[in-house]
Amino acid sequence: MKRYLLLAVALILVGAMLVGCVAKPTSVLDKIQKAKKVSVGTSADYPPYEYLDDAGNKTGFDIELMAEIAKRMGVELEWVDMPFDSLVAAVSSGKLDMSISCFNYDEERDKIVDFSEAYYTTEDAFVVTSAFTGTITVPEDAANYKVGVQSGTVQDGWLTEMLVTPGLLPEANLSRYERVDQAALDLANGRIEVMMGDYVPIQALVAQNPDLQVLYHGVLSTGPINIVLPDGDTTLKAEVDRIIKELQAEGFIEQLAVKYFSE
Amino acid sequence: MDFGQFISYIASGTVYTVGVTLIALPSGLLIGTILALLYVYGGKVAARVMNLYSTIFRGIPPLVLLFILFFAVSKGINLSAFLAGSLSLGMVSSAYQMEIVRGALLSVSGDQLMAARAVGLSRLQAIRYVVLPQAVRLAIPPWSNEAAIIIKDSSLVYALGVQEILRRAQLIGASSQRYLLAYLSAAVIYFLLVYATTRLLNLLEQKLSIPSNP
Repeated sequence: MKRYLLLAVALILVGAMLVGCVAKPTSVLDKIQKAKKVSVGTSADYPPYEYLDDAGNKTGFDIELMAEIAKRMGVELEWVDMPFDSLVAAVSSGKLDMSISCFNYDEERDKIVDFSEAYYTTEDAFVVTSAFTGTITVPEDAANYKVGVQSGTVQDGWLTEMLVTPGLLPEANLSRYERVDQAALDLANGRIEVMMGDYVPIQALVAQNPDLQVLYHGVLSTGPINIVLPDGDTTLKAEVDRIIKELQAEGFIEQLAVKYFSE
Repeated sequence: MDFGQFISYIASGTVYTVGVTLIALPSGLLIGTILALLYVYGGKVAARVMNLYSTIFRGIPPLVLLFILFFAVSKGINLSAFLAGSLSLGMVSSAYQMEIVRGALLSVSGDQLMAARAVGLSRLQAIRYVVLPQAVRLAIPPWSNEAAIIIKDSSLVYALGVQEILRRAQLIGASSQRYLLAYLSAAVIYFLLVYATTRLLNLLEQKLSIPSNP
């Protein structure tokens, strides 16, 4: 029995060495350009960043952004759907060229993969009407008022986790709406006192409604989000970062944010 | 999206579920049967090796083996998610199926083997014509259990992104916010698949049973 166990251990070690010996290609970018195809992973179960439309096709903020990045790289985009937990391992093991799935920077993840420049920073904002007489100096102050939010968003998640679950905000005082404009309507009608949402579409909303004003904004629910890239591949990172900066400068990403975070 | 589209989106994952099962189950049966024959009739050394094989593969969760095959050895051998999933399930299943076949072989009394040898059959002929046909009958009930387990375990390949029933239920559940309906639909589809399979195997069992033997 012992001998077989030793043999098994030896075989596994030899196998591991063989795997380690396979040379890494110089840059995944070369591979992508040669194949004229970039293979990108996402977990299409996180609206509004990535989800399925009525026809069952992938859509969302990340999806449309990545389509534009692939277009500017001059290659075809191949989507691979995978559960969120598997995406980092898939990039790290070379199964995917990169992953975009609302990833926050994380020290542990950074050990086995690289991160692109942040392509978007989700800042959250609290909006009130001019009739509002209270104050919101720290975000937790929102718990003292009737709050409205778009259902299933990261802001909804923040309110539920930080205010409702600890018992600061009674569940009855939190109204969840299917769309941001429905929440804005109830805000104007006085059914809710404070509305929480993504800062970019909120700014667009405030610009259209002079009666509304932003009382507080800051990074609460998500923070900067990045594309996950293969570890140590500086050539690919440079190319992706270049395109992200280009898209930010053109206002493309902001338009996408207004489109997906306020509908 | 109406209800029909919703259901058919999830149900179209059945192709992968059936595909994974059709690779894992027969390959597990083939390997399991060969190993069981070696275990029972191959002498002491073979029995020890087979015992080790069975101990290892019954001791590793299929999901762990799946991740090893897909992520860890991927730089050496580049397996697709579908193939990595099917093979790891087949490997784990082969250990269980070996035990099923071994149990069935041992249930046939050893005296029969001796009697067969006495009337002039070779050892191989005796196994082939006397022991195996009886063992197959004994193996079907526990084997239908294994078939049901493989059909359900095939859902594990969702972790690699194979668009089978469970993964599709997750995706459409998230997009439509109708999680309960999505997972219930998946449960019903799995149930129907398992039910149909076990019914078929019951029929096979009846057909193969010796008429005088209830």
